[in-house]
Amino acid sequence: MRAATLTTKKRARAGKPKAQQLSVSPPLEPGAPSDLDLMQAIQAQDPDALAQLYDRYNGILKALILRVVHNEAEADDLLQEIFMEIWNQAKNFSAQKGKPLGWMVTLARRRAIDGLRKKQAYARAEERLQSETEQQPDAWVHNATEEAIVLGDTRALMRKVIDGLPPAQQQAIDLAFFHGMSQREIAAKTNTPLGTVKTRLELGLKKIYDGLKELRDEL
Amino acid sequence: MSFEEFQNQSRLYVIGALEPEELEEFETARAKFGKKAEDFITECYGLHEAFALSLRPAKSSAAIKERLMSMVRARKEA
Repeated sequence: MRAATLTTKKRARAGKPKAQQLSVSPPLEPGAPSDLDLMQAIQAQDPDALAQLYDRYNGILKALILRVVHNEAEADDLLQEIFMEIWNQAKNFSAQKGKPLGWMVTLARRRAIDGLRKKQAYARAEERLQSETEQQPDAWVHNATEEAIVLGDTRALMRKVIDGLPPAQQQAIDLAFFHGMSQREIAAKTNTPLGTVKTRLELGLKKIYDGLKELRDEL
Repeated sequence: MSFEEFQNQSRLYVIGALEPEELEEFETARAKFGKKAEDFITECYGLHEAFALSLRPAKSSAAIKERLMSMVRARKEA
């Protein structure tokens, strides 16, 4: 299936998955192929579909990678590797288990954290993170209010949910999700009791989960 | 473990934040709750998407896409 035909194709309704991911996807241009259409075309070895998926999500995935590795050149290399992996692993994607973007983000995050560790850059990144954290204690949240005003998009909605958390919960989630740290590592890094870290993670993730659910129901 | 506790653990599980000693208990509860547990875990993976979408998209050079696409086309033809 060529991507050119996908652009005019009506969105395929592949049957409602039994379990749905908690997802608020970015809006698409009218007539544009859905992410699922593109994944199916990639599974059928259509390079143009991968090019379209790249155009749609390279910015989001690179931002995620950068948040993990804190290095532009490494992020570019990883971005290319991740899209190559998407091409190679597309056959393992199942719409029953979630949406294409969720699958790609999971893959990108895992690869970025692995890459960080393999290149033994962890210590350097930690130093950079430490420095950033000292300069900007809630570094995950930058100018969220301004963004929310300027942007009426998915990102602003996501930020609104995340920004509703106390900074300590945001920091714990940031260290766990973007830096792949365990609860013990977070406890050591933030000089906080392990039980407190666990509580912060549990409360923070539940609030985000509930917030996203409300958001999804509203849309 | 109650299902509510399992839900809390699931959210930690999907971001890889469960400690090894918690994982064993989690897997036991996962087996106990069966399909309901699997559905909830699937739903929780949506958190990954949400975290990524909360970031300001970053620019990447056109050269990356060119390199990627030439690699993909070469692999397809091989």
